[in-house]
Amino acid sequence: MLSEIALYGAIETGLIYGLVAFGIYISFRVLDFPDLTVDGSFPLGAAVAAILIIDGVNPWLATGAAILAGMAAGAVTALLNVKLKILNLLASILTMIALYSVNLRIMGRPNVALLTEETVLTPWYDVGLAFHQVPVVLFAIVAVVCLILLWRFMKSETGLAMRATGANARMARAQGIATGAMVVLGVALSNGLVGMAGALFAQSQGAADVTMGVGVIVIGLASLIGGEAMITPSTVFRALLACVVGAILYRLAIALALNANFMGLQAQDLNLITAVLVTLAIVLPGVRSSVVSRLSRNKA
Amino acid sequence: MISASDLKLTFGKGTPLENPALRGMSLTVNQGEFVTVIGSNGAGKSTFLNALAGEVMVDSGTIIVDNQDVTRLPTHRRAQRVARVFQDPLAGTCEGLTIEENLALAIKRGQRRGLTSAVKARYLDQFRSSLATLKLGLENRLGDKMGLLSGGQRQAVSLLMASLTPSAILLLDEHTAALDPKTADFVLELTQSIIAEQKLTALMVTHSMKQALDVGSRTVMLHQGQVVFDIAGDEREGLEVKDLLGLFEQQRGLQLDDDSLLLG
Repeated sequence: MLSEIALYGAIETGLIYGLVAFGIYISFRVLDFPDLTVDGSFPLGAAVAAILIIDGVNPWLATGAAILAGMAAGAVTALLNVKLKILNLLASILTMIALYSVNLRIMGRPNVALLTEETVLTPWYDVGLAFHQVPVVLFAIVAVVCLILLWRFMKSETGLAMRATGANARMARAQGIATGAMVVLGVALSNGLVGMAGALFAQSQGAADVTMGVGVIVIGLASLIGGEAMITPSTVFRALLACVVGAILYRLAIALALNANFMGLQAQDLNLITAVLVTLAIVLPGVRSSVVSRLSRNKA
Repeated sequence: MISASDLKLTFGKGTPLENPALRGMSLTVNQGEFVTVIGSNGAGKSTFLNALAGEVMVDSGTIIVDNQDVTRLPTHRRAQRVARVFQDPLAGTCEGLTIEENLALAIKRGQRRGLTSAVKARYLDQFRSSLATLKLGLENRLGDKMGLLSGGQRQAVSLLMASLTPSAILLLDEHTAALDPKTADFVLELTQSIIAEQKLTALMVTHSMKQALDVGSRTVMLHQGQVVFDIAGDEREGLEVKDLLGLFEQQRGLQLDDDSLLLG
């Protein structure tokens, strides 16, 4: 069905989108803040990292700068909502639109090639792994480290305060939690992760492009919802695990659909497949439980 | 001690729906007092409580809690001194979090929250022994989601959360009104025992005149955003609902038309 290279490629992109799904988990699930900024902060991270890398900055430092840029973008969205009382969804759309211009300004042109530059991946090609395995190993390490850090954070006093803010803001305030500050911190953290994903994506694909953010929100949501359908998110750890698993499965499903010649699907059908997969991921858990209840009723 | 003086607040100022909720409301609650607050619908009871908690900002007047002027402080910056239990049993706790996580949120009420683990091992004994006083068996269910508990159980836990750390005042906003009579009695008894044991200063809004007289050490009646009478001590002893109604009519020279005040 899938060639080995296509398989590793799907896992590689899946791991990167797992970081996006972490970010979307924080905004949509933890804070209940529908944030579309990610369509802008993903290419923002890519742009910042790409420009710094071609300027000769260490690629890890460049990736760190991409995280900070993403966090700043998220903070802008959250402040528009918290301080200026703009509806959260609208605030995020405003930032997303503004970032399109910002990204063009940062890059100075619609895309920046990184093919000949030293990236975070470069040193890893010497450790004796096959060429197509290197990104998978590195990004798996990054994803696991992020997962553990996020898990610990969500269990901390501040993380718990953030979860309470999204679940019951009135109660959170009564417990002395500055809910506005929690929203700013959470949305910034979320977009910082997405900025990092953009930076790593640009380095693994060999280019940053101003249009690479289109639909990132849908892919992230698809990963999140799909993952939750596979792994019930009853604890923070399971929810975070669901993000990564969902993102990898999503990319594998896309790769399979595109590789299955008998279906006649081509690369341009990607967004259609995404929409179908998201719909299935939302609907299937309900179908499964209704089938289970019907079966058990028959038994009784 | 908590002192509110000459609080004024008008909702929808300058609109056809202009509604003066507080019209020069003043009340001082001394350390250790348990004040019950009654009044008909629209008397300003909830607005007064919200103003004390910081959920609404008054137009004028001052609120002093423990010698500090908190009039302009938002809710979260008053939380260290002001504890609160809401009317809605679902409002005081987070259903998606576990019982121990809810308690861990409350144990840090009004304090700085850092990056150390929220549910610390050293809290667990305290959580268990506090929960055991409820006699609901919750001490063995620390890891259960709050959403699994009934409304009455959640209200009992809310009360526990409000008393987990010291406060200058405990605000109870008709916190038994949404419960069935038996559960309401249980929560009310629990309220009295917690307040007595910890010698808390408390302000309880209630819809029931009987409850207002049976519970606490002082009763205040609000009408049209002001205190119309305030009784404590000997004057309050032996007072019955019909006396209270008489007092009210005498004070205002009008008939009370809200049947709900007679119930209970």
